[in-house]
Amino acid sequence: MAHGNKNEKVVYVGDSRVRKPGGATIPPDYTSFPGRSEAFIPNFLLKEWMVGCVVLVGFLVLTIAHPAPLGYPANPTNSAFIPIPDWYFLFLYQLLKYPWVSGSYVAWGVVGIPGVAFGSLLLAPFLDTGKERRFYRRPIATALMLLSLVSCYYLTKVSWDFYQHELEITGTIPEHTVREEKAREAAAAGKEPPSATKPAEAVELVDADNAEVKSIMEKAGCLTCHATDLKGQAGANIPALRGVGDLLTKEELAEIITNGKDKMPAFGTDLSAEEIGTLADWLAKQKATE
Amino acid sequence: MFKSVYNWIDERLDVTPLWRDVADHEVPEHVNPAHHFSAFVYCFGGLTFFITVIQILSGMFLTMYYVPDIINAYASVDYLQHKVPFGSIVRGMHHWGASLVIVMMFLHTLRVFFTGSYKAPREMNWVVGMLIFFIMLGLGFTGYLLPWDNKAYFATKVGIQIANSVPYIGEYIKIFLQGGEIVGATTLTRFFAIHVFFLPGALLALLAAHFLMIRKQGIAGPL
Amino acid sequence: MSNHEYQETAHTPIKRKEMSRRQFLAYTLGGATAFMAGGAVLPMIRFAVDPLLEKRAGGSYVKVVEESKVKVGEPTEFKFQIHQIDAWYISNPEQAAWIMKDENGKIFALSPVCKHLGCTIGWNTSNKNQYVCPCHGAHYTVDGKNLNVAPAPLDEYQVKVENGFVYLGEVIPNTRV
Repeated sequence: MAHGNKNEKVVYVGDSRVRKPGGATIPPDYTSFPGRSEAFIPNFLLKEWMVGCVVLVGFLVLTIAHPAPLGYPANPTNSAFIPIPDWYFLFLYQLLKYPWVSGSYVAWGVVGIPGVAFGSLLLAPFLDTGKERRFYRRPIATALMLLSLVSCYYLTKVSWDFYQHELEITGTIPEHTVREEKAREAAAAGKEPPSATKPAEAVELVDADNAEVKSIMEKAGCLTCHATDLKGQAGANIPALRGVGDLLTKEELAEIITNGKDKMPAFGTDLSAEEIGTLADWLAKQKATE
Repeated sequence: MFKSVYNWIDERLDVTPLWRDVADHEVPEHVNPAHHFSAFVYCFGGLTFFITVIQILSGMFLTMYYVPDIINAYASVDYLQHKVPFGSIVRGMHHWGASLVIVMMFLHTLRVFFTGSYKAPREMNWVVGMLIFFIMLGLGFTGYLLPWDNKAYFATKVGIQIANSVPYIGEYIKIFLQGGEIVGATTLTRFFAIHVFFLPGALLALLAAHFLMIRKQGIAGPL
Repeated sequence: MSNHEYQETAHTPIKRKEMSRRQFLAYTLGGATAFMAGGAVLPMIRFAVDPLLEKRAGGSYVKVVEESKVKVGEPTEFKFQIHQIDAWYISNPEQAAWIMKDENGKIFALSPVCKHLGCTIGWNTSNKNQYVCPCHGAHYTVDGKNLNVAPAPLDEYQVKVENGFVYLGEVIPNTRV
């Protein structure tokens, strides 16, 4: 060191830059400090780790009680899916729904507000340069922070409530819940849980080119909900019509078509009894081929 | 035996001051919950680090089974979660840990803000901390796509659409993130690379800087 | 307790092998660290070593060929498909076997994987009545006995004949030499 004692001879290990031990390189032990401070290891870290142990136990309980959600494989044509980001992005997601930050003002919502908010957070030490550290003595900084916290909380809550409301009015159950329930049902019935990865194993259609059935289906609009390939929409709780003959009889099918069921509207007035009969007949034939 | 090996290394590399500095440095009274119970608010930084370590470990283990490919990604996640024992716990740790990191980091940030600890001479450490915050959000966003289920696909689509509405450069950001015209095969591999290599690399560098600055400057004094 | 005795004990502190406060804290810290590391890492280790603990599925037999098509004294190569579940990848890869009947009428099937370095052998490609490996010239007799280069005889398939069809099962070490 430039201002060090010139008489002190520094001895190095070999030709390296590492000093030979014995000098003042070892920092003083914690006991040489006055006051009620304590050593980082073991005293202080032990306290931190005690909290850590509690957090870990709670965390493991959470992971065991709630498996990570997994829905169905991504399907870009799925129109029934209601997308929602992770909870910590909800406030941004909600912000962009307001008319004054979307449409032609979208730049304001995407860059302006978040840019100012995150920018000032990033540069807080250069904006709030006063010497005062106590939060109640720096009202502007504290007020701005509290205001941002409240608005983030508000936006998140509005967004989440809207999502729940949307699920309710469309009668949608989130995919991962549907999946878990199906797996639970299968387990209760002592079967293998249904695999979501093999939709290709969907049952073959029987008598697929029946022109009469096709025209009736077109007239009633079956395909708009049950999908053009008749595989249904698992996420929206719309059953597949392939293999439906294994589950329901002809009479039950005719009953459902005539009077509707759950979300399905009644077609008793749109279709003649004869047409319903033909359709139910055809559907009852849709059995899995062995 | 252990001692002589240690001495042999220590003579050549002089490692004692390194760990003695970490182990024996002073922790002042005002952050010690034994003296002031309110000092428990100082625990959140350490907890953020602990959960981050869990995230890194569980992520490393998950890549033993995961493939970033649009045909097999979902199948591999399905397999590791439902077929491999403890798979749902390891994936659960990574999934819930992501949220927990955000929570802990949020609380840590609030503590630093309300105690005014970001003020001179600790401005740099605050800036680095905020960059860590942004990287964590980026990790959350890129990690979301990887299971390739409907939620992943549509949430990412919305996220990229938001980036697309940035004036002038939005279109370029979108194509860069997607790696093409649609959210598809190249988007998944891109997000995987960003999630597993680029962001964690930056995160580790920033964490190192964060900790070095704390050691160098010491913790902010009592209010 | 008299004053005298009190002074006595004060002068000679009892020397027990006690832990210092610092040592105690250090051990507790070690324990807490071990608990946290274990709690976090053990599930992951179990997750990673699962393939070691997985029970091997018993081989099922696959129908390969009619018994009448198997020649006596002359091996013929037959291809067959097995159903393979490789984690999330399910496929039906093709496998081959050299099948023949010996003079006692017993059917046996040899695996075409050379025991030297795993190339695929052929029958009578250069040496008369021998299996020959194209890579390093290993030969085997008709029973799969290793003649040179290879360290072990060719593996066999478990064979089952039912209703006039040959079924092949697991690959087992050669039983004929």
